[in-house]
Amino acid sequence: MAFEGLPGLVETREAFGETTLVVDPARLVEACMSLRDEHGFEMLIDIAATDYLGWGAPGVSGYIGTATGRNLNRPMTQGLQALPAPKPKRFSLNYHLLAIQQGAPRVRVQVWLDDGEAVPSVVSVWPGADWFEREAWDMMGIPVEGHPHPERLLMDEDWEGHPLRKDYPLGGEPVRFSGEE
Amino acid sequence: MAVDRPKSHRLAEHGLQSERLLWPGKGPSEFEQELGDIESQLGLTTLEKAIAWSQTRSMWPDTFGLACCAIEMMSIVSSRYDIARFGMEAFRSSPRQADLLIISGRVAQKMAAPIKQIYDQMLEPKWVIAMGACASSGGMFNNYAVVQSVDKIIPVDIYVPGCPPRPEALMEGIIRLHERVQAGVPSAYEVGGVAK
Amino acid sequence: MPVARPPATNDPIYDGTRIPSPIPTVLEVDRAIRDTDDILTVNFGPNHPSTHGVLRLIVDLDGEVVVGLHAKVGYVHTGFEKNMEQKSWWKAITYAPRIDYLAYQNNELVFVLAIEKLLGLEVPAKATWMRMLLSELNRIHSHLVWLATGALELGAISMFWYAFREREMILDLSELVTGYRMHTRYFQTGGLAEDIPPGFYPECRKFVEWMPKAIVDYDALLRKNEIWEDRTRGLGLLNRADAIALGQSGPVLRASGVDWDLRRDDPYLFYDRVNFRVPVLPHGDTYDRYRVRIEEMRASVEIVEQCLDRLERLEGEPWIADDRKVVLPPREELHTSMESLIHHFKIVTEGYSVPEGEVYVAVESARGELGCYIVSDGGPRPWRVKFRAPSFAALAATATTVQGAYIADLIAIVGSLDTLMGEVDR
Repeated sequence: MAFEGLPGLVETREAFGETTLVVDPARLVEACMSLRDEHGFEMLIDIAATDYLGWGAPGVSGYIGTATGRNLNRPMTQGLQALPAPKPKRFSLNYHLLAIQQGAPRVRVQVWLDDGEAVPSVVSVWPGADWFEREAWDMMGIPVEGHPHPERLLMDEDWEGHPLRKDYPLGGEPVRFSGEE
Repeated sequence: MAVDRPKSHRLAEHGLQSERLLWPGKGPSEFEQELGDIESQLGLTTLEKAIAWSQTRSMWPDTFGLACCAIEMMSIVSSRYDIARFGMEAFRSSPRQADLLIISGRVAQKMAAPIKQIYDQMLEPKWVIAMGACASSGGMFNNYAVVQSVDKIIPVDIYVPGCPPRPEALMEGIIRLHERVQAGVPSAYEVGGVAK
Repeated sequence: MPVARPPATNDPIYDGTRIPSPIPTVLEVDRAIRDTDDILTVNFGPNHPSTHGVLRLIVDLDGEVVVGLHAKVGYVHTGFEKNMEQKSWWKAITYAPRIDYLAYQNNELVFVLAIEKLLGLEVPAKATWMRMLLSELNRIHSHLVWLATGALELGAISMFWYAFREREMILDLSELVTGYRMHTRYFQTGGLAEDIPPGFYPECRKFVEWMPKAIVDYDALLRKNEIWEDRTRGLGLLNRADAIALGQSGPVLRASGVDWDLRRDDPYLFYDRVNFRVPVLPHGDTYDRYRVRIEEMRASVEIVEQCLDRLERLEGEPWIADDRKVVLPPREELHTSMESLIHHFKIVTEGYSVPEGEVYVAVESARGELGCYIVSDGGPRPWRVKFRAPSFAALAATATTVQGAYIADLIAIVGSLDTLMGEVDR
């Protein structure tokens, strides 16, 4: 599917059989309207937020091995750490869309945001986006402008912090092992 | 309905029946032996024994399913595992009418306050079974969102391990609770503990 | 001023949206009624006798009619996604089935399929057929529990015991293959964790022969039952356009007249090699959603039978991929081969590394489109895992479907959307 005329389109990427359209957040609603009306993506499947803080830094997610890892599927890379490609900003918000058509075309609309940068709400385009955007605010702290009901969804109303951020601790209790006594 | 019971076991000597004694050759479990040891110190009267007997014969649980364990809790009502033979198929929706609270599933931080409210609404005597790993200890979810064991909020009598425990395991927990009650062991809130 | 109840007729779906604005998930009380003193706010608290989990509904009632609805969730929020980021790819699979704890096999399936898509790993045919078989058995399992509890809520109590009888059969099959009744953790990256034990195929055949008769039993109890029809026909209307706008999927979408099934339209596993019916009904009411799920159970039995036919011919085939960078080598090899020992060590301690990238994979779970979005940084642990739960979207349709319904019908409608709070809250 050709997406050249999409308003606010920054980049198109194809990987693993999926199309990702990177869109400027300021023109997100226009782009979504165009995708819904002209390209037929009438169903919003998911809005997934990802925090890339610490992306590519060794030791972020490892107790054994590092975040960069050595790709065991590519031989002769030992000693050379394969660093992942750097990301433009800290947060990415991914809108997964589906067209109810032959072949089930899917597309991912991706916007990149800094900490605190707001994204316009797409509730006017797909009413089902309501709770997904609330969850993005609750879990990742991505403010959504124009959302009629911006409240926490999964955590308590008075919870502080955004749990799925990378600088938010996992929490829980330290587990005592009897062998350590 | 005479059943030949070995007279050597203490519970039987005191006239209390354990389900296990109906299976000859099974022998007393360690738990029963422990109960036998403290039983002589508790000194139940006949009236208390009768009350304990009737409490265990119709201990109605509250419909408190939280997550996966709730599905296995529902299956003890089904005909294969049939909890109706213990008089417990009447799951009460209102905590005011329930005797037993089976915490089946992971306890989220947001749910902690409703659990305490529901426990407080139950009338004494009341018992709590923490079903599954998540209710007993937080399970595999050692994180910000799950309360690491429901006994931080309410006192628990029996912990049933498993993820989820088989219906037979839950019934074993229920039967042990019955044995405890019949032996005169006080409920967890009386023993003291986290909350009252 | 009581709101008229939608007519219980067989009229085709009307035009015009019924989504309450400005937010689809909140039904606001009409201004005219709000200022009178007749509104009663009832809290259907998280402790529900209707066992679809811990959903909290704050309902405004004008007499017996629902005029306002506000759904609050999060009472079983477990922090799955954050936990999965801390574990290796292999260990994270254990968390997946507990998200949608009724259709647990589908969660494992979608997560494992997403990892395999990033890895570009080819799964042997035997494993794929077995995955299909277990997923379909799980669909039947989920629909059975839905039917049992849904009918229980409306008062058809005996349905519970009938449905759980067959559910025990499915769990017996599950235990025969995997050792567990629920949360089996049988799907592994690359195939299955272990070979299919002998004796499974005859047992599964017995189940396949028995199940259609059991469904006839369920129909005898409910289908033409006047009380059941009165309580479900014409209620909870969701028209086609609204269903698509709200992102519905699965039986809710198909009962609103949209002929969409991921197994047929966006096939994964080997669904393009089996024949199965996709039930679609036009009215979008509670009765249609019930009929769609019953017919889906029948269709699933047919799929299971076809999978059995194929599997019986694949005796002795490998059940997991041969890629030693991802899959553990067989234990016998560890005694003789140094490379196998090293691979075993690396996979068990560090875990296999998944190439950098992001993918989204969706399967047709019992509730609808269950999707998994994973981001990998090339390391042994997931960077981000997000599960797209179909019930999350189904709850968005609650306010639309319960407009003008009586409070007793509210239970029927919310039950017919088949939401499961474990996957809503994750």
